[in-house]
Amino acid sequence: MAPLIEARNLHKKYGSHVALDNANLTIEAGRIVGLIGPNGAGKTSALRAMLGLTSYEGELRVLGREPFRERTDLMKDACFIADVAVLPSWMRVDQAIDYVGGVHPRFRRDRAMGFLAKSRIEGKRRMRELSKGMKTQVHLALTMAIDAKLLVLDEPTLGLDILARRSFYDALVNDYMDETRTIVITTHQVEEIENLLTDAIFIDKGRIVLDSSLEDIAQRFCAVSVAGEQLAAARAQGPFYERHVLGKTVLYFEAKPRERLSGFGELHTPTIADLFVAKLSGDAS
Amino acid sequence: MNNYGWLIRREFWERRAIWIVPACISGTLILVALFGRAQILSDVPQESSAFVGKVYLGLTGALFITVMTLYSTLYLLDCLYDDRRDRSVLFWKSLPISDTDTVLSKLIVALFAIPLVAVLAADVTSLIVAFIVSIRAPTMIGGSLWQGSDWLQVQALWLYVILTMAIWYLPVSGWCLMVSAYVKRAPMLWSVLPLLGAYLIERFFLGTHYIAQVIGGRLAGYAQVAFHGSSHGSPAAWDAQEAANAAWQFMDIRGFFGSPATWVGLGLGVAMVAAAIQMRMRRSDI
Repeated sequence: MAPLIEARNLHKKYGSHVALDNANLTIEAGRIVGLIGPNGAGKTSALRAMLGLTSYEGELRVLGREPFRERTDLMKDACFIADVAVLPSWMRVDQAIDYVGGVHPRFRRDRAMGFLAKSRIEGKRRMRELSKGMKTQVHLALTMAIDAKLLVLDEPTLGLDILARRSFYDALVNDYMDETRTIVITTHQVEEIENLLTDAIFIDKGRIVLDSSLEDIAQRFCAVSVAGEQLAAARAQGPFYERHVLGKTVLYFEAKPRERLSGFGELHTPTIADLFVAKLSGDAS
Repeated sequence: MNNYGWLIRREFWERRAIWIVPACISGTLILVALFGRAQILSDVPQESSAFVGKVYLGLTGALFITVMTLYSTLYLLDCLYDDRRDRSVLFWKSLPISDTDTVLSKLIVALFAIPLVAVLAADVTSLIVAFIVSIRAPTMIGGSLWQGSDWLQVQALWLYVILTMAIWYLPVSGWCLMVSAYVKRAPMLWSVLPLLGAYLIERFFLGTHYIAQVIGGRLAGYAQVAFHGSSHGSPAAWDAQEAANAAWQFMDIRGFFGSPATWVGLGLGVAMVAAAIQMRMRRSDI
């Protein structure tokens, strides 16, 4: 089966600024993928390209289509939330439901109403009168009621408090995700989504630094907390990054058998956030 | 086609001025009819009351259409800019609607839906005002406001005006859409500045006025191409006899559709609308 999203040498420039520098990535169906990178790394450009919102150079197929040329068709099978604050402020909740129901062949009105009933948001309210958390719920209700194969979320919880963020992700996982769907998320709060993800893609300066499943990451990467006297021996094993924490040094290794490292100290699998910092700073130095 | 129904409905939801502005004009006219001085109508001589009836229908319609055409222009300048400014474009583009349909729906709203609302509002207002005047004012003038044939003629006239204005001013509409789809700020300013710049450059370096002539000819030339009757000068010079003629005698249908300027403008307008669609595809942000 062909991958859901496949990018080969994806390139995007804004004037002289290179947003995507020959990026390659593959996303399979049924995964929850975190696209993780620092500000200005090209996350949003990559998502925009996948959703047909911007032109690009290179090869890109999403659900077998060329996004920029076939955005209209693509949006029947893919949907996205690019920051929840983008619902038009003048629109009423019931108008939004009527409208999406009118133009989207895969929208299931009863589902949207079901989600909204739980949140107790009245249909006559205008978006501008809703709090950010309520808007999120409306947008999520609209999106989750669409029977789409791909859902793309670009910083979906930006500006939300922790309760709203938690309920956003809970709804996503419990009410939406199943094996027929694929979710791609970008966010700054990596820790919050770490336990949802099946795959992580790190992007830095327009390039893909890592594209891997979490199982592979657990196998390939390993961190060891090393006390002072063992440090020189452990360093000889070739860590790609090290960090000092509470008097110990944590060394990060890639593709090293664990049994060769276990003698130096406590072994653990780095979190996505740690690995991200390690990978980006380590590769830079 | 179903999508167009929703796209157009959407514009009516968002732009409530499309019905609020006509409602305000209508309300004002009705108030004037209710509380204005009815005596001035008794000074109208009997022989010109038929003329007054026609002028009344004509002016009422012209008022609504003029105001709403100005509104349409502002709307075209704003419609593809506003949703980029508040980023709601990212919501619209998450739905399976092509940019072509989006842009065309806005054009249809500006060129046909808004003027039709204006005509409808003018008709309803004329009826209500005629009814009030018939009750309040001396008998003769009241009766002259109820000429069925005048009503039909005026409807035909407005449909002709809507159609021909849509065609004649398509380059202006297309230009507004391009500006609206492209600029990062101040669409109103940017709709004028490049043209002004081009005019000044031409004037200083070539000493000619072609650009000003072309733009001026397009903006001011409509009535001349679409209507007869220039031999009598301004409409104020119509006499009662002429006003009794059918309204469609003023329409220069053959002249309008036979004029090369009409078709050149149409071609240019279509090209500009196509350009606006391309810009809309590429711009998802300010």
